[in-house]
Amino acid sequence: MSVLAARGLTVEARRRGVAVPVLRGINFAVEPGQVLGLVGEAGAGAAMVGRAVAQMLPPGTAMTHGSLSFQGAELPGMPAAERRGLLGRDIAFLTPEARAALHPARTVGAQLQAHLQRLGVARRELRAHAVAALAGVGVAEAVLGHLPHRLSQEQCSLVLVAMAFAGTPKLVVAEEPTAALDAAAQGRVLAAIQALRRAQGAAMLLITRDLLLAGAICDELAVMTGGDIVEIGPAASVLRAPRHPYTRSLLLAYPPMRGARPDLYLLPEPAVGERALARVAGCRFAPRCPVRAEYCLRTEPPLEGDAHRSACIRTGLVPAIVSPGEVPPPPWRPVGEVPVLALEGVGKAVTTGPAWRRETVAAVHDISLRITPGEFVAVVGEEGCGASLLARLAAGLERPASGRMMLAGVDVTADGADARQQHAATVQMVFDEAKAALTPWRRVSDIVTEALAVRQSRSRVRETRARQLLAEMGMALALGVRLPGQLGEAQRRRVALARALCGEPKLLVADGLFDGLDAPAQADLLGLLLRLRHRLDFALLLVCRDLAVARHLCERVLVMHQGAIVEDGLADTVFGWPRHEATKALLAGSPR
Amino acid sequence: MMLLVRRYLWPRWVRSGRVLLGLLSVLAVLAMAVVAPVLAPHDPLAHDLSLTLRPVELRGVYPLGTDGLGRCVLSRLLFGARAAVLVALPAALGALLLGGGLGLAAGWLGGRVARAVGWLAAAWGAFPPVVLALLLVAGGSGVAAAAMLSAWPLFCRVLRAELHAVAARGHVAAALMLGFPRERVLWREVVPAVLPAALALLAWVAAGAVALEAVLAFLDLGGAPDRLSWGRMLADGWEVVFLAPINLVAPGVALFAVMAGLALLGDGLRGTMGLALPEARLADGALAGDGP
Amino acid sequence: MIASLGWRLLLAVPVLLLATLLLFVVLRVLPADVAAMALAPGATEAEVAAMRAALGLDWLLPVQYVIWLGQMLSGEWGLSAQLGVPVARLVGTALPATLELAALALVLCGVLGVSGGLLLFALRRQGGQREGRAALAETGTALLMAVPALLWALLLVLVFALAWPVAPVGGRLAPGLAWPPGTGFLLLDALRAGDLAVFGSALGHLVLPAVALGLAFAPPVMRVLGVALAEAYRAPFIDQARLRGLSGAQVLFGQALPLAAVPALAALGRQFGLLLGGAAVVEAVCGYPGLGRLLVEAVRAADLPVLQAAGLAFAVVAVLAQAVVEGVCRGLAPRVRA
Repeated sequence: MSVLAARGLTVEARRRGVAVPVLRGINFAVEPGQVLGLVGEAGAGAAMVGRAVAQMLPPGTAMTHGSLSFQGAELPGMPAAERRGLLGRDIAFLTPEARAALHPARTVGAQLQAHLQRLGVARRELRAHAVAALAGVGVAEAVLGHLPHRLSQEQCSLVLVAMAFAGTPKLVVAEEPTAALDAAAQGRVLAAIQALRRAQGAAMLLITRDLLLAGAICDELAVMTGGDIVEIGPAASVLRAPRHPYTRSLLLAYPPMRGARPDLYLLPEPAVGERALARVAGCRFAPRCPVRAEYCLRTEPPLEGDAHRSACIRTGLVPAIVSPGEVPPPPWRPVGEVPVLALEGVGKAVTTGPAWRRETVAAVHDISLRITPGEFVAVVGEEGCGASLLARLAAGLERPASGRMMLAGVDVTADGADARQQHAATVQMVFDEAKAALTPWRRVSDIVTEALAVRQSRSRVRETRARQLLAEMGMALALGVRLPGQLGEAQRRRVALARALCGEPKLLVADGLFDGLDAPAQADLLGLLLRLRHRLDFALLLVCRDLAVARHLCERVLVMHQGAIVEDGLADTVFGWPRHEATKALLAGSPR
Repeated sequence: MMLLVRRYLWPRWVRSGRVLLGLLSVLAVLAMAVVAPVLAPHDPLAHDLSLTLRPVELRGVYPLGTDGLGRCVLSRLLFGARAAVLVALPAALGALLLGGGLGLAAGWLGGRVARAVGWLAAAWGAFPPVVLALLLVAGGSGVAAAAMLSAWPLFCRVLRAELHAVAARGHVAAALMLGFPRERVLWREVVPAVLPAALALLAWVAAGAVALEAVLAFLDLGGAPDRLSWGRMLADGWEVVFLAPINLVAPGVALFAVMAGLALLGDGLRGTMGLALPEARLADGALAGDGP
Repeated sequence: MIASLGWRLLLAVPVLLLATLLLFVVLRVLPADVAAMALAPGATEAEVAAMRAALGLDWLLPVQYVIWLGQMLSGEWGLSAQLGVPVARLVGTALPATLELAALALVLCGVLGVSGGLLLFALRRQGGQREGRAALAETGTALLMAVPALLWALLLVLVFALAWPVAPVGGRLAPGLAWPPGTGFLLLDALRAGDLAVFGSALGHLVLPAVALGLAFAPPVMRVLGVALAEAYRAPFIDQARLRGLSGAQVLFGQALPLAAVPALAALGRQFGLLLGGAAVVEAVCGYPGLGRLLVEAVRAADLPVLQAAGLAFAVVAVLAQAVVEGVCRGLAPRVRA
């Protein structure tokens, strides 16, 4: 008997009185001990499956047809108390943002013990059990007395894993369990999950938008788009020989970890909205499909095949989808130019703790680094390695406490009017939270030309420049009159990028620019930066979590560990022949 | 284009029922205060001991009757609005300028200025506002000045906490990086973001000042004994409450209407603009250790 | 918790010192004729001159401040200009009365605040489907906030003391009952003496002013709790708790409420200061002989010795209460803001 089985599972949302299907009668089964991956972009419906298992659908959505059963027992019909009895014991959930998923004002020990007590552990054995549970995921006992904010994201994730497996569940529903983690921590957390899962013989439903991550740990993969499963089969087979154009083009949107650097496949943005999609009679993917025919839009293709099934009637054309070309090599530069950024032995400490117990921690120390004009440099490292602080130092948002810092040959170590002017003229930064980084009451065309407002340029000049920049970013000119709140996330990042590039800085600093983007949006932004590189003349210091992104965009990679740079070299050399343990850990955790 | 029109000319807060209701009642009181001499049927101070405690006759000579000294209740009510407005308006605006200015300076400049302002606000806030106002009145200050001087720490704390929240946003850092001088960043990026909160708080403080004026007048402190004020009317009406209840009800209802109008206005502005509650901001500030 | 509480109490000392400076400026520098304020009306020229010398008015202001501060700290508060009795005795009897009233009002505030906050939150949660209810609830609390303590006191006294006399007003005790000896906290003393008649009468005299204060100062606590609960429910840890199989009540009372209670407690602490101010008004209306009424009488009579002592007493109580609440809150939630 399957641990979890869905037959014709249909979930509908009511939007202004209109029923919009969110899941359109999907079928799947998770067998004991097996891992099924549900992969889809945001809005594809994968996350909704997890909510349906817990019967905690968002307000306004409801399961209308079909069945969803756990070990043969129908979940929707079950009395609430009985279902709650299953949750936490037989069905465990792992949620994204592990730190926020723990109660912020209770110690880890208190939370873990409360859960164990609910599972029926005797009061006097609680502590021993809690220590054992933490040991099972490799977390030290001392953590028990800490509040979650003192733990790293990785430790929080591991605590959640320990809690999930404390009740020897039959099924684990893991939704983006590693979304907030760096590559190395991701590897360790996934290893802990897999080890416990294998030892207890639990099945797992992995819900993620990362196709490669799912491919690395799942037995079976189901690819979803528009509320439908379009391809399902053994993971190896789906990744190696996809039979649906969506899977194939999604795979081509991921930058590879080794070999040549192909241009990434650009999947068009979903051209039609959720409500319009509900009216499409044929294939969900047809409006974005590169190999569609007229009839794809009219008739819904059945999910066909034996072990590896695909909902496409033009499966034969799928291998014809290929990446458009190769990334051109970086533009040629003369040797011996003055570096745009030169750091010599730079250090900076941060102070934390309440007023009566201040602690000073060296966040970065002894950083020496030169970035020549036009060079693209990526900084990778584990959480808390100091990469973000390095970026803020380079951008002038923090001042170094020790060492020397030069921008294009000018010493800017000490704060002052001259240093600030040199900073503004030389370096610009784009932030990870694009929404907060754009002034909410200013129009897009005013935001992108802020750099001209500093010198109080005339509005005619600004208007022309705004049009030029929007075109450069590949955005429609009509978007210029919008406010940031009226844009999508990918567009907001472009606006932030345009604002930073308006004054033609020599160095662009980007922290978390690619965080939280789906693979197609990420590929789009990567392509844009590579194109801009050949048109404008700027160097890039990129702090990023994804090693493949770092390799795709940047020729040079720095690896940071505990506030110091431990490796520095060509991307292919550093990733191909890692020398430092930190680099090896990062590589081990990257799914490619 | 329509979007912009809707956003700028017909924004959400105008369409909110709460804001409209509040605005209406506040405007009504302002109008009462301005045109009181025209509307009042009698001299509010003229008393006639042969015509005391007349009942309500809406079409009569004394529409809302007379008080224990034979003075026209309606006229006193209209002129009483003047006292409320003349205290609330300068007190709220003065507190905004003083407290808001100090709060912005502290939040934006940081360092020594922030510490000095923090200590000042803490020492000032050591006295409960009504107590401070009573002491100020005893020290010879006017009612409006006492209301302002006891309300400014509120502005200071709330706006400082608000500014902390705004200053952490990316667009402020981005403007600094683009090379705007700090004071221009303050005016371009920070003040417009803090302004809605200040406006919502203005209504709050004005309501507090109206209440304070009524209290001081009720206790007959800080002004002439025969001044025209709703608080004075409440005290007079209290004496004759069972003989002519209108003497207590009329000023009570007027006081409630103004305070409710201001509360609805402030709360509606806050709600539709998605701002934090001022009380919650104060709690935040206290927990984050603002001040000394 | 101990550390944050200790730190906060330590900070209260300089705050109080600064507050005395403010008190000095307001009462000794601003008034036109300080010496007259310290004397009963109709004092002779010689008495005024003697008082000027006693107050040190001929000295420089900083020196005057130091002398004054020394007098204040050592408890030499002098005689009331109006009544001719020692100020220390006046404050000593009025302060316990006000503290008793404020404590009872604070408890009411807390009870009303928590129940109102839960109600607000419940209405807001349902508001997802019915926006009308949430808006109605918000409007309701805004209107509730618009009723000042003065109006509540008048209304309650009118209804429950005059029209339908169920609760006594005026004084702390019914005439004819004997004061039990002890601390001046009437409820405590009565309990210790085992005198239930006195206890009942004292409680009866407290009910109206305490309810008026509780009603006037509870709405902000309700609103903070309602908002904090809504905010807590948006956090992922609530989802995670429900996914672990906790019931709705367990999530609300075991997870969300303990977190949301922290800002609500901070708000309650702030309300305590405001409530002390409100006590001045309510005591005057209800004829309750507390510190507030003492202050009001002193303002009316321009009685400087009583004014400065009562003002200082208010500041000390307010600052200490504030410090305790903030210290406890920060101990409970050491990192409310990220």
